[in-house]
Amino acid sequence: MFYPEPIERLIDNLTRLPGIGRKTATRLAFFLLSAREGYITDLSHSLIDIKEKIRLCSVCFNITDIDPCAICRDERRDKASICVVEESSHMMVIESSNPGQFRYHILHGIINPLEGIGPDDIRINELRERILSEGITEVIVATNPNIEGNTTAHYIAEILKPYDVRITRIASGIPVGGDIVYIDPLTIKSSLENRKKL
Amino acid sequence: MSLRKDEAIVLSKRAYGESDRIIHLFTLNAGKVSAIAKGAGKSQKRFMNTLEPFNHVKVEYFEKQGRGMVRIENADLVSGNSGIETSMKRMCSASFFTEFVDRMTREREPYNGLFLALKEFISFARSKDPAYADILHYELMMLDILGYHPNFDTCVFCGTVINDEEKIYFSRERGGVLCTVCSRSLPHRRWSPGLMQGFLAVKKFETGFETRSLEREAQELMEGFITYHVDLDFKSYKLLKTMVF
Repeated sequence: MFYPEPIERLIDNLTRLPGIGRKTATRLAFFLLSAREGYITDLSHSLIDIKEKIRLCSVCFNITDIDPCAICRDERRDKASICVVEESSHMMVIESSNPGQFRYHILHGIINPLEGIGPDDIRINELRERILSEGITEVIVATNPNIEGNTTAHYIAEILKPYDVRITRIASGIPVGGDIVYIDPLTIKSSLENRKKL
Repeated sequence: MSLRKDEAIVLSKRAYGESDRIIHLFTLNAGKVSAIAKGAGKSQKRFMNTLEPFNHVKVEYFEKQGRGMVRIENADLVSGNSGIETSMKRMCSASFFTEFVDRMTREREPYNGLFLALKEFISFARSKDPAYADILHYELMMLDILGYHPNFDTCVFCGTVINDEEKIYFSRERGGVLCTVCSRSLPHRRWSPGLMQGFLAVKKFETGFETRSLEREAQELMEGFITYHVDLDFKSYKLLKTMVF
């Protein structure tokens, strides 16, 4: 199929987006072609803005348009504890269930030797600096409960050992509303290890 | 399409699309196999926790004639990876050996011995922080299975048995020690006395190297040997070197 060059170029660019094949890209391109001009201008400005205005918060490394980010500026949050997460998207999930409670530290990655990613490649040193400068007394490590996330959690606990700070790990076990019959042995084991007194 | 059942160690896992995972398995009977685990990213039942790196699993997979990638139908955990996450030494060394096996073998080339060596090392790393001598022991064992083992016993050129005191010349290119006579005409490097005996002791799992400086020399010798003969850059080795050695 031979589309005019600008459409062909747009289709090629849309195809580079995750989950978008050529067929979907073509459909999107024709939608944009028939859209009103105001929408196209808004969309193009939004795309330019995310590159020009979005940066990392200098305190927690969350994505933000104003530095420090809204969460770090919020004086009502608990100043003594900090929740450590892998990515901004993980922070959003925790924030949506516990709004306004924690301050965060985004690592922007996870220790994964198989990919050559070590502690120096993520924001662990910055976390240590925050512990020293902000008077934090509890670090909640909320990385995923897989081998890489657990390794990162243990490493954080190890390097923060010399400081007077309580390090906690999010619990892992049977999900709320889950059926014990369908839970795998490792999760059962973990939930028994992490059981709490009623 | 045929359903196969095998034992495997999970070498690596990466996301594919929204919820699928591409898994590299090192199986007991079929060697390295690339597999797709459909829905592994969100399945609460079938694959939860089983397809994690370093896990020893029993797998059932569908294989299509002429197709490279197989489809994992079921995976049951034999032994997990718990314990490895507790230290960087364990994590880095286990990662190094899984990457080593992944990159040193070709698909569908069975190596029973290599499977058992990898399984044994992972089991070791789950319970204890490996020292350099432990890592080297398994590295030499795996190189031996793959046919790359350096020769520390006899002159690699003329076959003469060398006295322990004279085992100081090592030819990276020839892959072993040289006798004094052959060392005059062949490229080599002179190493400290006791180094080659150290290698032999480590190979037998007897002791480590006598001094830290001999251990450093051993690392250097092995790095040169691997670079020359294998010519692969292992991502996890760099981290292993920084965090462990």
